Formats: sequence, structure tokens, C-alpha cells
Amino acid sequence: MRAFTVAGDLLREAAARRWFLALGIALTALLLLLLTSLRLEVVDGALAASRLFGKPLYHDIQAADVALRPVFLVSSQLVFWGGLGFGVLACADFAPALLSPGRIEHLLSLPVRRWELLAGTFLGVLALALGGAVYASGGLVAVLGMKTGAWTGWPVVSALLAAVAFGSVYAGMLAVSVWVRSAALSAGAGASLVVLGLLATHRRTLLDLMGAGLGRTLFAGLTAVVPPLGRLADAAGALASSAPLAPGGLLRLLAGTVAFAAALLAVAAWRFERRDF
Amino acid sequence: MPAAFAVTSLRKRFSTRLGRTEAVALDGVDLEVPRGEAFGLIGPNGAGKTTFIKCLLAISHPDSGEVSLLGGRPEDPRTRARVGYLPERLTLPGAWTARAFLASVARMKGLAPGQAGLDALLGRVGLAEVGERRIRGFSKGMRQRLGLAAALVGTPDLLILDEPTDGVDPLGRVEIRQLLAAELARGATLFINSHLLSETERICTRIGILSRGRLVRSGTLEALTAVQQRWRVRFAAGPELAPGPLLALGFEPVEGGAWEIAAPDAPALNRALDGARASGALLVALERASRDLEDVLTEALAAGAA
Repeated sequence: MRAFTVAGDLLREAAARRWFLALGIALTALLLLLLTSLRLEVVDGALAASRLFGKPLYHDIQAADVALRPVFLVSSQLVFWGGLGFGVLACADFAPALLSPGRIEHLLSLPVRRWELLAGTFLGVLALALGGAVYASGGLVAVLGMKTGAWTGWPVVSALLAAVAFGSVYAGMLAVSVWVRSAALSAGAGASLVVLGLLATHRRTLLDLMGAGLGRTLFAGLTAVVPPLGRLADAAGALASSAPLAPGGLLRLLAGTVAFAAALLAVAAWRFERRDF
Repeated sequence: MPAAFAVTSLRKRFSTRLGRTEAVALDGVDLEVPRGEAFGLIGPNGAGKTTFIKCLLAISHPDSGEVSLLGGRPEDPRTRARVGYLPERLTLPGAWTARAFLASVARMKGLAPGQAGLDALLGRVGLAEVGERRIRGFSKGMRQRLGLAAALVGTPDLLILDEPTDGVDPLGRVEIRQLLAAELARGATLFINSHLLSETERICTRIGILSRGRLVRSGTLEALTAVQQRWRVRFAAGPELAPGPLLALGFEPVEGGAWEIAAPDAPALNRALDGARASGALLVALERASRDLEDVLTEALAAGAA
């Protein structure tokens, strides 16, 4: 399937971009800093003392895995919201660059179907998001695991939720790009979806505060279909910090997010198939 | 064997988002080009040449009409796998190396990009030394050569080249002509869209002239440039060459010291030549008079406008 070839080429293109090089270097530097500066003393599975740059962090003696929960909770939120923000900015140009005059004509003359080009672009960006999220969370788990002996895979699973959330946002960015080839509009669409996703999280509360009218109906309609990103972020935090989570609720949330992305991709593919270049 | 490409009643108009027609790019074009030919499409700016190519490759969707490409449909990836295309203004990924770009095109065509094959391709277009250099540092001519190399990936049966020598220096143009001649010799069909008539004339054996979306002339180069019933003669220079008798016989002086005469058939031509020789003129060359492509284009456009 040529979509994977397109995705591979997108990853090669990303590797040559400063945005992604800077992210890779920043994450690696941060992990190395933690690895060299964080001192954790574990006695019989309990965190007896912790120091960062020589300064004490905790005074209470706790089981190492319990002590690490808040760390994983914060890091999961950083990966989720930081990843969304970074992704919206850094990936806004991929589809417009693909559709640029002189490039899209060449691509469409090759034996690749239009939907494969679109799917490949989406898969490539999704792979980038997954890679970034797993690298950041996996690196943190590895550093803390080596220092405490408490190993857990949940922060990585939580990072996968962040990648899924970004996938739904990027599907909207891609759909907008197929209509209007503009990196700024693509980024704007992504940012709008993030804000709408936050509003959708508090939909019921906000609707209660609104008076009846067109604005309320519009808000109700929009927030009914946009994935509630805040709830996804909460779920990611709960997973990372081993907090209890209703599995049925998470599955429904994920299914809704995936359906939203699939619907946007279908609209984008419909438009792309009919468009002249 | 099916034609390299054939279009029937091809129509394409461009309209605004509100549905108002802005321009008719192609207005019922019928054209068939046999395989193994070098076909050149010429015409003024805005005649619809690039739109024609885009419709041929399903990059744009025609409003109506039939398109057949190498006996198949252009929407079919298997058909497009046998086509090499160089767009008019190819945008290349600047951060990639030339070799990486060609490898990507090869993968898209379902081929395994081998190092030796890519090097050979780069060598054919004169970029062997810069295969590992990033494209953003390439000159316009180098980019054009790389685009041509991309079109050649997978030894396609049909090469569609939109302004292939644009930005290329004169020596490079000669190299590209030689490369295209080699492609033609191996059996590929060439479709060249160029505003350089001399280039088209040197490479192509068959010409189509597009004006305002209509194909106003089409045929072999020989047939289009030949002037029926007219002959060009050259006499040896010297004191025996008297213009008076030649003018009386119906010869007309043309540029380069040659003469032309209108003769409806062979006996009439021979009578005129006998008369010239009798007056002392010594015949050294005789050929059918022809026009260059520029004359043909000018005449076709004038006829189309009338």
C-alpha cells in the first residue's frame, strides 16, 4: 500500500525540519539532565530521599511507585497538552507543502491513489505524534525506573492517548488544508479544535450557563461532535498515575475520538478526490 | 497496438466557486498519438496546453470527453506507473538529497531503488557528482535535470515533459535532446510541451497546435511544414547566373541566395528547370520548399482567430 510509502517520506521530511530536530534535542537533553541530576535513594522499595541538583525534594518516606505517581501525572499532562500545542504548530505545514503547485501535480502523476496520499500524510503525522509521545514518556519511565527499580508501562499507554487526541485534531487540520492550502489556516483549525475540545469537556456546565438561542444551539451542536479533550487528558493522567478509571468510559471516549477523526478524513478524501490541480 | 494516448471531445472549463464560468481551457479536443512518436504540443500562453496534460494524467478532471492513456484509464495507478511526467514548475523537497528524491519516486512507482540504478539515472542527466547534495542548493537547471531523472525512473513507455529545457543552459539542452533521442530510440513515446519552437522542431516528429482550447492543426512535422506545389532551388553562383531569365521563368529569389518556384506537377517543374539551365544557370540543389514551425504556428493562429 502506497500510503505507507507516503508516510515514510513524510517522516524523512520531518527528520530534516528544524522543529522536529529541536524537539528531539530538547527531549533528549531533558532526559539526560534528569538522568544525571536526579538522586533517588530507594530502601526496601521505598523512596527514602530524593534530590534534584542536590536539593531535597520529598521528606516523606513512601513506596517508590506511589511516590512517582504525581510525577507521572504531571508528565502525562505535559505530554498531552504540550504535544497538542507543538503538533498543531509543527505539523501545520505538512499538507499545504504536499499540495503546493509543482509538487502535487508530480505526486498525482505517480501510481498512487489520491486517498493514499491523504492517508499517508495522516499516518505519517500520527507516527510522528506517537514517536514523540512514546519517546518522551518512555524516556521518563526508563530514567525513573533505573533510579528506583519501580517500572510501569502506564505512562507510555497514557502518551498513546495523547497521540490519539492529536490524531483527531490533525484530521481537522488536514481537511481544512485540502480545501484551502494554507499552513496558517491549518494551524488555526488545529488551535480551534483544541479550544473546542476543552469547551466540550465542560459542555454541560457551559450549556447551563447559556440562555436559549442560536448561539447556544450552535455551541451545543459543535461541542456534541468534537472530542472532549479535557476528559481525554484526565484519562491520560489517571492512566499514568495508576488512578482508578472506568474502562467502559475510556473506550467510549476513544471510540468517539476515532469516529470524529475518521469522519473528518472521509470529508477530506471526498474533497481531495474531486479537486483539480 | 493502442495509441500512446487518445482524447475524444475533451472539454474543460474553469469556473468560480459560485459556478460562473471563468474560462474555457479545452473546447472539444480530439487527438490521437501513436506509440513511439515524439509529439510536440505548441500554442500561445493560455491556449490550454498544461490543462491538456493535466487532464491526460487525471490531475484535473475534464468536464466531458474520453481519455485513453497507453490503452488504459489515467485514473488507474497501473497505467500511470508506465508514465514519466515532468511538470512545468516542479517543486522539489529542498531538504532532501537528489538521490533520496529519486529513491522516493522509485518507491512510489513500486520499484526497489538500488544504489546503482539511481547513480546511473543521475549520471544520465549530468548530476552524478551531486547525488548526495541537498536539493535546496541546486540551480534551476539542476532542478530541471533532476525532474527529468524522476520522469525517467522505471523506464516509462510514455514521457510527458512540460517545458523540459526550461532554465537549462545551451549545452545542457543538447544533452537533454540526446537523452530524449535515446528514449525515443528504445521505443518510448515522447510528449513535449515547449514554448521553444526550435526545440520542438528538433525533437518532435508530430505536432499539435492548440489555440484557445481548440486543436487547430495536427499532423507530422513534415506534413505541417511542407508547402504544396512549391520548390526551393539553388544555382551555382557565378557570372552565368542572370536573374532576369529566372524571374521571367517564374523563379522568386528567397533568403540565402536560393530561389523558389511554384510548379503544380513534375513536368511543369522540369520545364522551368530546363529553361533556367538554358539561360546558363547551373542547378546544384533542389528540395521541396518548407516553412519553419513558427510560420506554421503564426498561420494556424491567424486562421483560428479568423
